[in-house]
Amino acid sequence: MNVSELTLLVLRIGFLLLLWMFIFGIVYALRSDLFGQRVRKLTTDAAAPVPAFPVAAAPAAPVPRATPAAPDVPGAASGLATSQNTTRLVITSGPKAGTEFPLGADPITIGRSADSSLVIRDDYTSTHHARLMLWNDEWMLQDLDSTNGTFLAGARVTVPTKIPLNATVKIGATSFELRR
Amino acid sequence: MSKASAQQARQTPVTQPVRRLHLPQKLRNLELFLLLIACFINASAVVLVQLGALGEIDTTLVLLGAGLAVLVIGLHVVLRFVARDSDPFILPIATVLNGIGIAMIYRIDIADQDSGWESAAVRQTVWSALAILSAIVVLLVIRNHRVLFRYTYIFGFLGVVLLFLPLIPGLGREVSGARVWIGFGSFATFQPGEIAKIALAVFFAGYLVRNRDSLSMVGKKFLGARFPRLRDLGPILVVWALSMSVIIFQRDLGTALLYFGLFLVMLYLATGRLSWVIIGLSLFLGGALLASQTLDYVNGRFTNWLDALNPDVYEARGGSFQLVQGLFGLAKGGLLGTGWGQGRPEITPVPQSDYIIASLGEELGLAGIFAILALYLLFVARGFRIGFAGQDDFGKLLAVGLAFVVALQCFIVIGGVTRVIPLTGLTTPFLAAGGSSLVANWIIVALLLRLSDTVRNQPRLVI
Repeated sequence: MNVSELTLLVLRIGFLLLLWMFIFGIVYALRSDLFGQRVRKLTTDAAAPVPAFPVAAAPAAPVPRATPAAPDVPGAASGLATSQNTTRLVITSGPKAGTEFPLGADPITIGRSADSSLVIRDDYTSTHHARLMLWNDEWMLQDLDSTNGTFLAGARVTVPTKIPLNATVKIGATSFELRR
Repeated sequence: MSKASAQQARQTPVTQPVRRLHLPQKLRNLELFLLLIACFINASAVVLVQLGALGEIDTTLVLLGAGLAVLVIGLHVVLRFVARDSDPFILPIATVLNGIGIAMIYRIDIADQDSGWESAAVRQTVWSALAILSAIVVLLVIRNHRVLFRYTYIFGFLGVVLLFLPLIPGLGREVSGARVWIGFGSFATFQPGEIAKIALAVFFAGYLVRNRDSLSMVGKKFLGARFPRLRDLGPILVVWALSMSVIIFQRDLGTALLYFGLFLVMLYLATGRLSWVIIGLSLFLGGALLASQTLDYVNGRFTNWLDALNPDVYEARGGSFQLVQGLFGLAKGGLLGTGWGQGRPEITPVPQSDYIIASLGEELGLAGIFAILALYLLFVARGFRIGFAGQDDFGKLLAVGLAFVVALQCFIVIGGVTRVIPLTGLTTPFLAAGGSSLVANWIIVALLLRLSDTVRNQPRLVI
């Protein structure tokens, strides 16, 4: 069998194209890792309470600190959330208000990326926004350098902070509480 | 049970529990799709070699290539059962690299007219089979990477023993100057240092997780970086002494650089201190410069690198002939290469192991080399990504360490062949002919797959 020069040339370029198509196929398949998850626009009523530049609003945030925590369930101020007294995470506002899921001993990551435990897909949340973890048996909230911040009982979280039971953690239009 | 749940529902009437969703194995299906493309690429590489070099298609190695395809699909099936959430890209990438390597080795066999058991491609295929089987065993045995954390110091001991095994008289073999092989009689040589890099990565990860506080917290600030106390320099000095003894006794610059670089990067990751990198690099550069002045073979490597195109160096015994032939090959390849089977890579000494990148560059051209580098980049990036997503520090360090060791090995070999750094003998991961390297790298694949499976948590709730 005699193979012509032209055939070999075509096959040679074809092979390189095949190799590169494989590479671009992989890159396309992992695009969400490279460029972040697709953003879902907030509906108007959910977006309303969020100011245009939340970062600018952050310094003002500590002022209303006492107000959201106070009217909560009795005993809220006293108890910190520990692995013993906390069993579930309840979403209290946002598109999925009312849903809950049980808490184990594993850390809970929150963000827009698909490998987060709690995925929040709005344009307010960062890819890796915050995480909840057990530290000395107490639940801690850590902000992972998110763009728009994580708020615990109205105050912006800058260092890992212990979470009181039933205190509101707010990320964008979504807020949740740790409950007994 | 229904009573209890009803009671709970009464307590909090606004909430409804969410059950974990059962998702179809999307990741595994994606992996299967990519694997099929990978096997197609491998098969077409072998066919093109036969068309280019022999002008006809026979079925010998196509059958062997099918063996490789069956094995990787077997690995994929195993993953469906024991690690269903593992990363879907690692396996196809490793498969393509391995297959391209086999095709190139086969092409050089044709040029050297080796066949049967003499043929390096047949041996490489058998080694690939062994390597993939050992990857399957690792996946089946290690169900959770934290098991490795428990045996940190055993792995450290194992790593050092494996590293120095070739120095035992009667067991060690010397191949082209470097004493990094072991063999029994004339039969089955093996490079234990390749396995040692995995053991050492596990050891470094475990050790640093246990001891990083003293390495990262204390120290004096000097010139904007916090430098460690003198007594905390112990570990880095031990590893430095280890690498220096590899340079002196085993006469292997590349392996020493590989282990020391691995330790340095993991130390930097664990402590986040730039001063460790500064200290480590100056230690190693100092040691290497000293070695280049005192040890003949290191000195020769430096001369070959700096003055490669000098006719005296080119024609000297142990001179830069090989390096320059590789460069000529790369130049002949140009942008698109001469095509599979149509170059003359066999002129360069050892074109199927150390110089496989030059051989591939000749036949696939710059476009092909960049494709291969892109595959390595994606592989390493997946490893880093697994480390980034990890929840526990040991897993994070181990994933990044294993990925980095592949990256550094690529840099040392490909940098040496392309004359970016002095040439040192290491194998190109997955591509080069050599059983021990294949086994080690496929075990790395298995460990990364295992880590990515334990690391990836399914979302509990999507808003």
